[in-house]
Amino acid sequence: MYYTGAEPGNGAHGKDMRERVLPQDGLLCNKRLTMYDTMKLFRADICTSLSRILLSADSQQRFMPFPRRVVLLRTLVVGFLVLLVAAITGELALGAPQEAATDGDYRTLPFVNSRVVMWVVAELHLMFAAFVLAVPMFAIVIEYIGYKTGDKRFDELAHDFTKLLSVSFSFTASLGALLTFLLIVLYPALTQYLVKIFSWTFLPYVLLFFLEAIFLYSYYYGWGKFSPRVHLFLGVMLNIVGTAIMFIANAWLTFMNTPNGIDELGNLTSVWDAINNYIWMPINIHRLIANMAFGGAIGAAYGAYKFLGARTLEEKAHYDWMGYIGNFIAICALLPLPFAGYWLGVEIYAYDQSLGITLMGGTFSWLFIIQAVLIGNLFLAANYYLWLSMGRIAGAERYRRFIKYLLAVITLCFIVWATPHSLVATVEEARAMGGSHHPILNVLGVMSAKNTAVNLLILTTYISFLLYRRSNKVATVSWAKWGNLVQFGIFAAVVIIVVFLGVWGYFVDAQTRIGLSRPQVLLVLFAMVSVTVIDIFLFRGAEKKGEIAWGKIPARAQYALFFLAITFAWLMGLMGYVRAGMRQHWHVYGVLRDTSVDAFTPTLGFAGLIVSITVIIFFLFIAIVFFLSGLSGQKKWVPKSERGDGVAASADTDSNLAIS
Amino acid sequence: MKHALQIFAFTILVSAFYWYVSLWVPQKRTEPPEDIAIAADLSTEEMVAIGEEIVAGKGTCLTCHTMGESGTGLRFPDIGIIGAIAGTRIEGMSDAEYLAESLYDPNAYVLEGFVAGMPAVSKPPVALSDDEILTVVAYLQSLGGIPTVTMETEFEWQGQSVQAPEAASATAVAEGGNRDAETLFTSYLCNTCHTLDGAPGVGPSLAGIGTRMNRAQLYESLMDPDAEITEGFVAGLMTATLNATGFQSQVSAQELQTLVDYLAEL
Repeated sequence: MYYTGAEPGNGAHGKDMRERVLPQDGLLCNKRLTMYDTMKLFRADICTSLSRILLSADSQQRFMPFPRRVVLLRTLVVGFLVLLVAAITGELALGAPQEAATDGDYRTLPFVNSRVVMWVVAELHLMFAAFVLAVPMFAIVIEYIGYKTGDKRFDELAHDFTKLLSVSFSFTASLGALLTFLLIVLYPALTQYLVKIFSWTFLPYVLLFFLEAIFLYSYYYGWGKFSPRVHLFLGVMLNIVGTAIMFIANAWLTFMNTPNGIDELGNLTSVWDAINNYIWMPINIHRLIANMAFGGAIGAAYGAYKFLGARTLEEKAHYDWMGYIGNFIAICALLPLPFAGYWLGVEIYAYDQSLGITLMGGTFSWLFIIQAVLIGNLFLAANYYLWLSMGRIAGAERYRRFIKYLLAVITLCFIVWATPHSLVATVEEARAMGGSHHPILNVLGVMSAKNTAVNLLILTTYISFLLYRRSNKVATVSWAKWGNLVQFGIFAAVVIIVVFLGVWGYFVDAQTRIGLSRPQVLLVLFAMVSVTVIDIFLFRGAEKKGEIAWGKIPARAQYALFFLAITFAWLMGLMGYVRAGMRQHWHVYGVLRDTSVDAFTPTLGFAGLIVSITVIIFFLFIAIVFFLSGLSGQKKWVPKSERGDGVAASADTDSNLAIS
Repeated sequence: MKHALQIFAFTILVSAFYWYVSLWVPQKRTEPPEDIAIAADLSTEEMVAIGEEIVAGKGTCLTCHTMGESGTGLRFPDIGIIGAIAGTRIEGMSDAEYLAESLYDPNAYVLEGFVAGMPAVSKPPVALSDDEILTVVAYLQSLGGIPTVTMETEFEWQGQSVQAPEAASATAVAEGGNRDAETLFTSYLCNTCHTLDGAPGVGPSLAGIGTRMNRAQLYESLMDPDAEITEGFVAGLMTATLNATGFQSQVSAQELQTLVDYLAEL
């Protein structure tokens, strides 16, 4: 194991933490530790922590923010909600269809449109669920790194991320219950039909939900109390159970788009086929990756929020690092997301070509222009953050000259991707163009150009990461020159071939053109994987040009992180809309027709308004989550008579939010 | 607290910006297709007219198929002159039979260069009735050929139609289903090319169009703009524009009627 200078935490904060972890033998960075040493030190640290827990009230406050009865109470409340939903759903499935029929198939709410309410609540539930499922995924990886390396900073970072889970889980459960109630009350016929199809999935869902509550709270509240291996096991179980829950819920919603396992009259013939419908697995994979991106972005926003309120350099360093890690996770997940989306699209077309055409070429074709603006902004903001981050690394100035070229490529690709196939023009403009297709832009508005642009965008962002990674390093291996040349050669070859395939797409038939996107994607993946592998060996034992000065980053970098989080949330809302909207006037596509007053597909402007409102509500809730999470590290209340000065009643370093 | 407020203001600003972006693009509300009443004693001409409505509306045929386009870029067969070539596709099968098979069992014969995947229109989600399919066949025959089917024509595939169950026991009237003509005129971007006051535009002015064309001609101008081109204007322009806006695949029969009525009164 290595403590390398390029790893996060080599600034003041990092040094401070290392001294805390390794006080006795004074090991500093760059000193090689054997696995045995690391484990020994880590165990010693755990023992020290445990003894502190036992002996010190301060430590106890730190590791045990809530008493055990609160854990039990929360589990019981969540369990009660789940049982209530299950009971009502079961009642609807088994005994109440006749009643529902007499009540009518749709009901309305006073003052507000029932579909809009469903829409907002469903999206909020999905956003929180995505966050709650994502955080344990990367928290356990970070915790595991801490466990293997013995670096306590990773363990604390994982705990910091996990702190956000507790309140978020309650929000998710509450919104899920509200969503179910609304579905039962406002759309009884649809609910009845879905219950008829999926009744066998509800019991495992509820049981898994209980298990998730148990694993989540024991994972969070058991931090520092269980042995590391037991704690990691709890985290693994939490992830497995959370993923299983998502897979079950995904079966319900994907069935509505690509129903399967039923006869022509909509009667169930196979539960498994209904679950394993055309887009179930693509959505499962797409959501797993997208959740990571979303969760990373929200985690980074939390880091940014705490950074802006931090009062000491140590705090700034910690939250700067947290923001960086969150952003790293988000962008790493974002890069393969288009490939998962491609698979999803293929399956939609395979199920029903007209459904695919409705999605990509008909009613919703303009929606993908909005999507392009959002994703383009994500790439721009992510790169901007990386370039600002390079400012805190000694040695990064060598690469600063490349930024303008990277920016130019990103901007160019962004423009191509966001170019519509046809234009909304005034009479004069249309006359000048000779129609709604611009003579030049029309060429850029087709998939050949867009696929090429997005692949180059991904590659450019990867290069930014690569430059960041090697900012303060100089390769010392004997083959360094050749290694760099091979890396450059791979990039150059891939770019040339990707562009060539894009241009070739204009001269071949549609089927061949569609097939060209696959080699483009594979080439970009090949470039990223092969260059990364070379880079790892290239910079083994590299000479360091300087340290990373964590915390020394401008505030605008933190706003870039907020921008990323908001854009991710908006993108999630938009794609949630199109996933449901592509069914148009169907509740279950081709099976159960929507005959309500809301059977129409709204304008994209209206959809944009609802998504914006949802995102704002989500961030209001998230602000509450941040606030409550900040309280979890506070000290006990101290009577006024016992306070020596004004500081005594204030929070510890982890809760400056409460101070402000 | 100051930072929290700043961040919240920033969130509102970014969200509002994205909403603004969503307003840049064309705003089109898509209504669910409406059922068309088909009498048992329709004449062939009436069948063709109704078939044309179904092809553009409930049948969603034009979501995938083009009319009068050619080249290697087509993803689905063009149906611009399908009436002229349908009888030559499969030996021993008449044009009407070929078209009926293509609608009831589209993957039984797939044209070379294209892939299977068209859904049977007699089943959900399209779920046309046998009578509706007869009118569609009549219309498709009329595209370059002569319609021969009548309401009495029988095909071997008939009797397979499946109607989707409806969530509502009673048919609800879509909110705003009767949008006024002026709204339709602007939402389908007609005003981008046509003026109403006689001023020149990319397309001919529609001032007094009701006195120059009868309702049938107006209907034809909307559904097949290149059938007759006003002197001095370019053929293909309106078809391309309508394709780009998705007009033909999205306009409902009722909206079409509203537009024709509106133009007839100009």
